[in-house]
Amino acid sequence: MPNEKPQIKKLYALSSENRKFSFSLPLKHTIKVGKRNYDVQIKSDEKYGTYILWKNRRYPLEIVKSSQNKYEILFNDISYTFNVETPFSLQRMKVLSKHKGKQEKELVKAPMPGKIIDVLVREGSQVLKGEPVVILEAMKMQNEIQSTVNGLVTSISARPNTNVMKDDILVEIKVE
Amino acid sequence: MDLAGKAYKAFLERQEALEKQYSTKNAEKQHSKGKLTAHERITLLFDPGTFEEIDAFVTPASQPVEFGKVERTFGDGVIVGHGKINGRLVFAYAQDFTIMGGSLGLVHSKKITKIQEMALKMGAPIIGMMDSGGARIQEGVASLSGYASIFQNIIQSSGIIPQISVILGPAAGGAVYSPALTDFVFMVNSTSYMFVTGPNVVKEVLNEEVSSDGLGGAEVHARKSGVAHMIYDDEENTILALKKFLSYLPSNNVENPPIVETNSNENDIIEKLRDIVPDDPNKAYDVKDVINLVVDKNSFFETSELFAPNLITGFARLKGKTIGIVANQPKVLAGVLDINSSTKGARFIRFCDAFNIPILTFEDVPGFLPGVDQEHAGIIRHGAKLLFAYSEATVPKITIILRKAYGGAFIVMNSKFLGGDFSFAWPTAEIAVMGPDGAVAILYKREISESKNPAELKKELVKKYRDKIANPFIADESGYIDEVIDPALTRKKILSALEALNNKWVKVPARKHGNMPL
Repeated sequence: MPNEKPQIKKLYALSSENRKFSFSLPLKHTIKVGKRNYDVQIKSDEKYGTYILWKNRRYPLEIVKSSQNKYEILFNDISYTFNVETPFSLQRMKVLSKHKGKQEKELVKAPMPGKIIDVLVREGSQVLKGEPVVILEAMKMQNEIQSTVNGLVTSISARPNTNVMKDDILVEIKVE
Repeated sequence: MDLAGKAYKAFLERQEALEKQYSTKNAEKQHSKGKLTAHERITLLFDPGTFEEIDAFVTPASQPVEFGKVERTFGDGVIVGHGKINGRLVFAYAQDFTIMGGSLGLVHSKKITKIQEMALKMGAPIIGMMDSGGARIQEGVASLSGYASIFQNIIQSSGIIPQISVILGPAAGGAVYSPALTDFVFMVNSTSYMFVTGPNVVKEVLNEEVSSDGLGGAEVHARKSGVAHMIYDDEENTILALKKFLSYLPSNNVENPPIVETNSNENDIIEKLRDIVPDDPNKAYDVKDVINLVVDKNSFFETSELFAPNLITGFARLKGKTIGIVANQPKVLAGVLDINSSTKGARFIRFCDAFNIPILTFEDVPGFLPGVDQEHAGIIRHGAKLLFAYSEATVPKITIILRKAYGGAFIVMNSKFLGGDFSFAWPTAEIAVMGPDGAVAILYKREISESKNPAELKKELVKKYRDKIANPFIADESGYIDEVIDPALTRKKILSALEALNNKWVKVPARKHGNMPL
């Protein structure tokens, strides 16, 4: 059977704020500032870790987390999360998002019985996926309950110093 | 080359017809659903030019079909063969949904069993890519016994070669047990489903309205049922992740896992580890920070990430050698052991044991999860699985106690006298029968209730308990652990322990098999 490798000529990086950046393959080490492209170098050594060298200045770079095509990086001490997509997977995302009805709200529930120690958000707060919203003490341990979506907090049922049961609703988030 | 003879003409015509079948005609239908064709999947999976297809030209069983119609196409809806992945021999089969819905007929099943038997004989991993409507109704019982022989082969090969299933479309009814029997299951969000009975039957029988995705989608199986170990957003990334995953595993149970060249000047003394465990025992931290610092950079591959996240499992490398990691996650449910985390851990440990992968345990566990829920659902039965798996495993076993190691959970998490080879503790460790509050409440119940200032007395006793009992030094001084270590030296200690354990050999008593509490 024919065995040629599909040629991928372009990759896209989708940031968590839904911004799209495209890169052509093979990758070149250039950055775009304003409208001009500049050549840079990626280096790593024991003293400075990994960094981008541009105009004789070092800009520290670290991959905090990576899981297949999902990355969290730290660049100049600012954290960025993004997915790397191929033209086909990007196309698929578009097709599927048309099929799928959009999820509108997310209920953050207590994963186990415990006591609410602190509520970290207010009604109207903007939250990101993975951001802690409530501190729940259970098994003598303070657990961060995190938001599983990006969105806007619409209502809060959790009150500090009250006990909750498993699956009690703590916070309601409108998905954005 | 000029192949002009008559025999060659027929040969070339057949070849051309097969290529046509693999080409674009059916591809668009799959693409519009966000799926790839079986042929494209195989091409993505194997190193370029290495895949050799077997039985490409077989046609469906020729017995008369009295009911319905059987399409006469090449291959009977499945591509089988072998090739190289990262240079290593792997066998695979990929069901082709564009041919009779990928339904499993007699010939289809014979192709799969043929390749399964070859994989077992050659001692190479086998990958099954499923995208099938299920048993072929037209072929009746022949199709059912086809499934049975596939199951039989999976079970016979279990623990001898790694068997991995990738669900890339529907898998319903009996078909689900083929992936369920294999070692790891990969799924794709939005296009793959697994259920024993589909939404239509559920609606008919129970009058419950549920979508395919809600009943048995990737997310459901990754989070709730634990059936799927790894899920990704699309097929390309699923297949790429699978290739990476395979790089951790040996080809069979007699080989050792492959060793990957690493940056040898990596620093073995990691001072950052000293600052991870918070001083306040009620504060959580992310045990993945510990794992990522200890293992080779970016080498941690987590399995069952979304299922029972209070216990982390996964593969990583230490100086290029594969190691299986089991770690309590204080950040989720305080890192307690419950039913799901026990079964998750037990299955992972048994896989590592079968395939010569040493097990490294990071322990910070307050105990088993209390409650009616857990007791009634059988935490005794399920917790025993983890205990059994740890004790039964004969691969090198190393434990690092980071903080809490209380009660039954301490025993279960690979304690020294359960057969753990090395047991190290950080100075922050608390090893005791129970936590300070519980212990004080039991031992000084009367004193506290009779005291004029119970709260003050209790605080004092808790402090005393922590100083005198809940620390790692008593265990160290009486030989119940091997050493209290400086956290910064963790990687170094593990590396030298692994070196010492390199030739570990355990004589296992002869028996048919143990009786694991399933």
